[in-house]
Amino acid sequence: MGYINAIIILCGINIIAALGVAILTGYTGLFSIGHAGFMALGGYFSAILVKEFGIHFSIALLAGGAFAGISSFIIGYPAFRSRLRGDYFAIATLGFSEAIRLLLNNIQDIGPIKTGGAFGYMNIPSHTTVFVTVVAVLLAIYFAHMFVTSQYGKNCIAVGQDEVAAQMMGVDLLKTKLMALFISAFYAGVAGGLLGFYFAYLSPSFFTITKSSDLLAAVVFGGIQSLIGPVITAFVLIAVPEFLRTLAEWRLIIYGFLFVVVMIFRPQGLLGYVEMNLNFARVWWSKYVSRKQAGASEGQAGK
Amino acid sequence: MSTYTPQNDEILSLRNLTVDFGGVRAVNNVTFSLKRGEMVALIGPNGAGKTTVFNLITNAIKPTMGAIFLNGKSILGKSPDQICRLGISRTFQNIRLFPQMTAYENVELGLHSTPHYSLIEAFFRTPRARRIESETRKKALELLEMVNLQDHAHARATSLPYGLQRRLEIARAMATSPQLLLLDEPAAGMNEDECNELIELVRKIHTTMQYTIIIIEHHMAVVMDLCRDSRIYVLNLGSLLTIGTPQEIQNDPKVIKAYLGERKNGRDLSTP
Amino acid sequence: MELFIQQLVSGISIGAIYALLAVGYALVYSVYNFTNWAFDAFMAFGAFMAFVAISSLAMPFWLAMILSIILTIILSVGSESLAYRPLRERKAPRLFMMISAMGVNLAVVNIINLIFGGTFRKFPVESVQPIFVGNVSIGRMDLIAGAISFGVLALLWLFLYRTRWGLGIRASAIDIQTASLMGINNNAVAIIIFIITGVLSSIAGVFYGIKYAVFPMMGIVTIKAMIASIVGGLGSLPAAIVGSMILGVLETLVSGYISSSYRDLFSFLFLIIILLFFPNGLMGKNVDEKL
Repeated sequence: MGYINAIIILCGINIIAALGVAILTGYTGLFSIGHAGFMALGGYFSAILVKEFGIHFSIALLAGGAFAGISSFIIGYPAFRSRLRGDYFAIATLGFSEAIRLLLNNIQDIGPIKTGGAFGYMNIPSHTTVFVTVVAVLLAIYFAHMFVTSQYGKNCIAVGQDEVAAQMMGVDLLKTKLMALFISAFYAGVAGGLLGFYFAYLSPSFFTITKSSDLLAAVVFGGIQSLIGPVITAFVLIAVPEFLRTLAEWRLIIYGFLFVVVMIFRPQGLLGYVEMNLNFARVWWSKYVSRKQAGASEGQAGK
Repeated sequence: MSTYTPQNDEILSLRNLTVDFGGVRAVNNVTFSLKRGEMVALIGPNGAGKTTVFNLITNAIKPTMGAIFLNGKSILGKSPDQICRLGISRTFQNIRLFPQMTAYENVELGLHSTPHYSLIEAFFRTPRARRIESETRKKALELLEMVNLQDHAHARATSLPYGLQRRLEIARAMATSPQLLLLDEPAAGMNEDECNELIELVRKIHTTMQYTIIIIEHHMAVVMDLCRDSRIYVLNLGSLLTIGTPQEIQNDPKVIKAYLGERKNGRDLSTP
Repeated sequence: MELFIQQLVSGISIGAIYALLAVGYALVYSVYNFTNWAFDAFMAFGAFMAFVAISSLAMPFWLAMILSIILTIILSVGSESLAYRPLRERKAPRLFMMISAMGVNLAVVNIINLIFGGTFRKFPVESVQPIFVGNVSIGRMDLIAGAISFGVLALLWLFLYRTRWGLGIRASAIDIQTASLMGINNNAVAIIIFIITGVLSSIAGVFYGIKYAVFPMMGIVTIKAMIASIVGGLGSLPAAIVGSMILGVLETLVSGYISSSYRDLFSFLFLIIILLFFPNGLMGKNVDEKL
């Protein structure tokens, strides 16, 4: 039973971070291989707030998310402004994430706070329960859905599909991209915080490129411009390897091959462009009904 | 160049507009003005720099020299989205619709490229936000009706036939509530019937919406018809060759020489 | 003062490695507008191939190097044909190509990890006595690495500027469509470019392995090369070299005088500052998208 709880919690954390990457990469088309860095920032920040300053963990989570979000501007602003053409942003996300990880690895304390370096930050108060996780995941999905279906979200989608045309039609590229980046970093930061409050411990080794690749995988496989796809995939990508321990070493190799295969054969991923939409169900239902009616009337005519 | 003061009724004014790409001067000292509500054409052989002029006006590229005034104020250095908000919208020579969006969504984007409610309202979908969204929805459908695409509203943009895609681009450009509409080869690839429909459409939107319109076109029939009461600018090798009414242009030896050897869709300029 | 020169020398030698990688990155980028994330993997692959050749097959160093180069070329050209070209021909969006490249990277690096494990291995060359110039000691290997790196870059320069093939590549870097209309075979260009990529990354991998260590994640240093290329000015090969030398030296100075923990953070911040004040890099040209 405790095992199932652990899986639910870890899946939940992964889902929240993957939602962030979905918004940035799946919707706005901005490649990031650095969200582990935002998880680290949010994680350490919230953990410090609770352990050293006694702040309530739910506030600390939001603060950690905000801290990660604001930090993202360091990358976002130089990369997105003016007419920069180039993969500056993608490269910067990697550089940023690695720099954060290595920094946390090499310094033993921040001022009087002992962050532990490579040994990790220990004795973080434990707060992440199944209930907390489920609430967090539901809120995360709800707000993500609200965002992508809003006019802001639709602008992000336009940027993802053709940013030049979007700009010519009046979309402020800098603002839109920074918004998507902030939200995605916020989500990653909250996920990092939940991680810390679950393990009661944080280590820079949690936040490697592998973690960023895992998040990217949820979006690549789950689907471009979709929330439900990455949510399901994020869940599966955590749950399944747990049951397939033997494949663990092969996991990333398989991901790597699948990235290429998916891009060549089905770049939109499993559930790309499919949204948690009542419309989707309604359209499907009406098609089903009209097919049945056509079948019935054909039957009549045949008599 | 800031010594020039535009007239009151001038909506657009280009002064000595020049752009160099490496060693090539793509646009050379182009100067002209448009009054509000006019509909003019920009023609010239391929490579004359017509689309480059549009790109300069919308600041997709920066001029090497010269000035651009919109309603009397310089728009040099403003970002393309700012320029769109100030009232200039365009279509593209190679259609640039959002490929994975429906026709409806493409048009709607033009309406909300600057969102009409705050981010907080978006997250909580307040009644005000909902109301704004339904108004936007109505306007988008109206625009689709205006270009006669209402039956294709929920088709994916790239699944539409070419001619309809061009109309959709116009609707999307209209969605940004422009004062000045730049149409880049709206009739490209159209047959005669489609051209006639386009002429009607452009005339209709010119009259009802009172846009100022600049058209780049190679279909001479379209240009001559739409600009019969106004004028045509002829560009060649980046410079303004001449300006005139359709009749003047058709008979101008300089213009014919510039097009020499070029037959546009089987109609060359020497036939009226 | 001697410490400074020491650091300078060290910085130049790491800069030379960065330069090899940065030029490879810039070459691919300038022609295809595409960041080859698998560069990481190619470098590690080259290093490991040479490592295996020397330690398990007892090959002499130069032979191992050549073997490594050949094998890396095969990997590089293979990735291009299987993972990149299909997408490029389809005019897939940039995002999809980056994902594909990242996929190649993940697969190759983790296969290496699976086979060899994550331990840091010492590259099997005998320690050589450093050369002393005054009181400054210069590693002999650093000198050799530097000389070979610059030699290779010089050969590359000759190739690009003095041969017909090189002309074809430079034309493709300016406008690949026009180049193909002028009769340049795009497929041949692609293969040549990725052969060059293979050569540069394997040599860089071997020298990096000698200077530091050989381990599956060693390719992460290509991020420095990418930063160097951006700092110099994306799309320009000389700029990539300049950026690499500057980055290598500055980074080493920071590491020596402040602290090595801050070295990577410095490189990243350096990138950000350069982007803020020199959006096109120190020497870069701005290339606008065709509308």
